[in-house]
Amino acid sequence: MSLLKPFSRRPALNTATILLVEREEEFQQRLAEVLVEETAVTLNVRLAKSLPLPFENQHSRPRIDLVVFIVNLTSELSLQSARASLKYLDPGYFLGKVCFMATNARNAAVPQERLDTLRGLAASLRCTLLFAEDQTADGATNASERLLTILKVAAGLVPMTTALYLSNLTMCTVPSNTNEVDFD
Amino acid sequence: MEDQMKSLLRQLVRRIPIRFLKVTLEKWGRLTVAQQQNIDFTQTKWALADELIAYSEENRLTLRHITELEMIYVIDNPNQGMWHAFQLVDPESDAPAVELMQFKEQFKSHLNELVRNVSVKMKKNTDEAVWIRIAWGDSCSRPNNMRPTYVVHYLQTPYVFVTRLTSKQKTLLSQAMIIATRHQAIKDAHLSGRNFSAIRDLLMQEYEQVFPAKYPSALVERNQIAALPNIEREQAEAEVNRLQMACEAFGGGKLPQLQSVVYKLETKFKDPSNQTFTEREKPFNCVVTFTSKNLLESLRHCASSGIASTPITPLLSSIPRRGRNYFVITDKVSGPSSQINPTV
Repeated sequence: MSLLKPFSRRPALNTATILLVEREEEFQQRLAEVLVEETAVTLNVRLAKSLPLPFENQHSRPRIDLVVFIVNLTSELSLQSARASLKYLDPGYFLGKVCFMATNARNAAVPQERLDTLRGLAASLRCTLLFAEDQTADGATNASERLLTILKVAAGLVPMTTALYLSNLTMCTVPSNTNEVDFD
Repeated sequence: MEDQMKSLLRQLVRRIPIRFLKVTLEKWGRLTVAQQQNIDFTQTKWALADELIAYSEENRLTLRHITELEMIYVIDNPNQGMWHAFQLVDPESDAPAVELMQFKEQFKSHLNELVRNVSVKMKKNTDEAVWIRIAWGDSCSRPNNMRPTYVVHYLQTPYVFVTRLTSKQKTLLSQAMIIATRHQAIKDAHLSGRNFSAIRDLLMQEYEQVFPAKYPSALVERNQIAALPNIEREQAEAEVNRLQMACEAFGGGKLPQLQSVVYKLETKFKDPSNQTFTEREKPFNCVVTFTSKNLLESLRHCASSGIASTPITPLLSSIPRRGRNYFVITDKVSGPSSQINPTV
């Protein structure tokens, strides 16, 4: 089992690398095309269907600063696949270099439990959970802007802050049941 | 006879959309140029039919001429009604030598022997297909031209496509067909659909086939989108593999527009969480139908995008391989996995 490690390689100057993991491989392509339009930094996008990443690419692969799991909430398999991929990440990534992106959350066909599961998963790993609209071009632009903000921090391009610090502010939390009882 | 001609013409005018009517009449060529120019296509269909009936009487056209008009229309627009495919089996030694005139004569005479009142009309299309229109009657009634059966046969191939056939007529038709084409038997190919060209292409395998190759073929190049330099696919190889497998199973390029597939399950119910059903001795019968605008294309996409696992299960890949869209699945006698039963 080859773990993906956050600090196995030296960083390149003014460069950030993002890994998009999506089982359906639909939204990641469009998102990547929007992401590379960023001009302030050299941005590399790696696309994958699931982890682990193939061993052969190991030498050509730059240091990955942010891993994004795109979960399509209409499909249970998408969530399962993201969950299964998590164990191929080095624990170091969970200090602010992993985030989840849920798509299709507004779809009426999505069972509420699936979103709750995803939320629980993100909260237990202290990761950020973003929501994105994957049908429109605007949605992809918005999603890429949000990811860029996190990515720049994770790649160490923003002075005075770190990924760990940012993730403490943005990480997903699940409202505990006890609080709700108190409200009643 | 006159009445039948009139009602057939009226039915035809009602069936053919106005935009096709002009072209069809031109192809038919039984009206003079002046008559064709006189026809006012903006009037109601009823009035249009009246006008056409008047012209046909003027030109002394008979029922046969009107059936010719119908055939022209059906050949150009075959996607109406259900088409069923049949396959001729066990050819005799002289089967490859059957040519059109001989086939025509034999088919007509044999069908006439079986049923007295039957009217058969044949037309050879440009693509080597023989189109046969059969108006059935029985011993005491005239052939009913209002609901004819259409049969399409490609000479020297074992495939026959039929639409609007009742089970009683099926035995008669298959007998005449077997004798005329010099075969021993005919069997149901378990393929049916509304799109005639789709089921023909599927059964005769007239679409781009992809074969296993050691070196990446044109498929790879075709699917490489002008890749941006900063975007890299980590699992590109696996993706190409999946696409190759999907194309091997379903064919490359444009696929026949098959619209539905039916699986009839006669297997035992297996679900560890549901004891009541699992323990039942009898098989759990149900029918699974897949429908889509272009089913093969969707299945190929499912496989190439990884939604369906590769290698593709024989349940799906046998649709194009065996040219069927109706399957009965039964339990194997030994072993838990299901199999496709060739007999229905």
